[in-house]
Amino acid sequence: MGYFDIEDVLADSVEVPCKFQFKMPGLGYLEGNPGRAIEKNSKLNLPLWLARILAIVGGGSDEDTEYEPEEPIPFVELLKPDFFATKFINSAKASPESLDVHSVNAYFYSLAVKWITLFEDKELASVVSEMLLARALEINNHAGSVNIVTSTTTTDSRLESHSVHFESANKNSQFLMTLDQFEKDLHRHAHDSYKQTKRWMVER
Amino acid sequence: MSLPDCLRHTFSPEEIQFIVENELIKIFPRITTRQNIRSRNAGQRPNVKCQLITTNDHNVNNMVAMQSTEVALWLALLLKQQKKCSIVAPQWLTIKELESLIQFEKANSDRFSAMPWNWLVVAQLLFKRAPDDFHDPVHALRGKIQDLREIRQVKVLKGLRHLNESHLQLDNLSLLEINELRPSIIGIMDKLRQIHSAAHASGNSNTDDQQAEIADY
Repeated sequence: MGYFDIEDVLADSVEVPCKFQFKMPGLGYLEGNPGRAIEKNSKLNLPLWLARILAIVGGGSDEDTEYEPEEPIPFVELLKPDFFATKFINSAKASPESLDVHSVNAYFYSLAVKWITLFEDKELASVVSEMLLARALEINNHAGSVNIVTSTTTTDSRLESHSVHFESANKNSQFLMTLDQFEKDLHRHAHDSYKQTKRWMVER
Repeated sequence: MSLPDCLRHTFSPEEIQFIVENELIKIFPRITTRQNIRSRNAGQRPNVKCQLITTNDHNVNNMVAMQSTEVALWLALLLKQQKKCSIVAPQWLTIKELESLIQFEKANSDRFSAMPWNWLVVAQLLFKRAPDDFHDPVHALRGKIQDLREIRQVKVLKGLRHLNESHLQLDNLSLLEINELRPSIIGIMDKLRQIHSAAHASGNSNTDDQQAEIADY
């Protein structure tokens, strides 16, 4: 996950629900009404690049409480987004292959890694890696099926050119519509590799 | 970037072929390049000597017709193209040997048989460029090679179930087979490693927590 990685930049702009733990004067434009303050305990969705840093840095002690807490309270508290909600996690445990990850979030795995890093959530980590492995086997099966399509195009009346194409056997498979961005890249690279090898074996 | 995207992390099959073509192979030359002393003394015609810098050129300059010698595979294929030699198929490329390898593959479902690292490429190259040099019929050999490839592919698919974030042991898997699996295996294992290291970033310092968690499970 590099600084200039486009996928990473897009994954960082996914919004997550947050709860403010302070009254923030002047930041009302985050809620959509500039010029006003954000009240304490107001909930709003912030992009992850903002929420992540606000959940770490704090504003000293809360003015309501008298005593000094040991750790400074951060500006916002991250609430669990719905793509890590129990409902989704349960369905991921039950049947990873039939899960529509793309509709849940297009950058699910990148977000999962970021979320796990923030909270050291070992349970989520084990669920996500089981799910990744199960789905990766399915992806590998889909990537490995390469069709040889021979088409004869009569461009010239005398010259018949035979062209050999190598295509995915399952172009409009239902499964391939459910892949998230990482899985799509994985599928594309794996498929290209199988295709090239098959092309080399058949031709020349 | 200067290197195309598809070549940045892996080899293309053509590059694999290039690597394999550097191996030595046994041939029967149909030309004689060795100069006997008499004609050298006579000095009738100036002979051209091969001077190669990437491979040993001693064998090339000492070929005697129908006396077997070893040269690099690329040179053997070039000579074969001009009908100046016939290539001796390697020991394992016979019906009998392949049959026993297939038997081994079927008997041991948890390991790959000890094929040479370049078996698939060498077989493909020789089938295409030197089909008349085999003792056994080429179509039968082709069938056996295809059988072996399919058996091993099934085993590979079975092995992918055990991918993890740390390591993988792939004894006797050939270079072309590894190369076609490389993008998928690397992709999956790299993501698994990311997830694992994210969860265990400070895991080494507080082993008590881990112990407690293991107890919980």
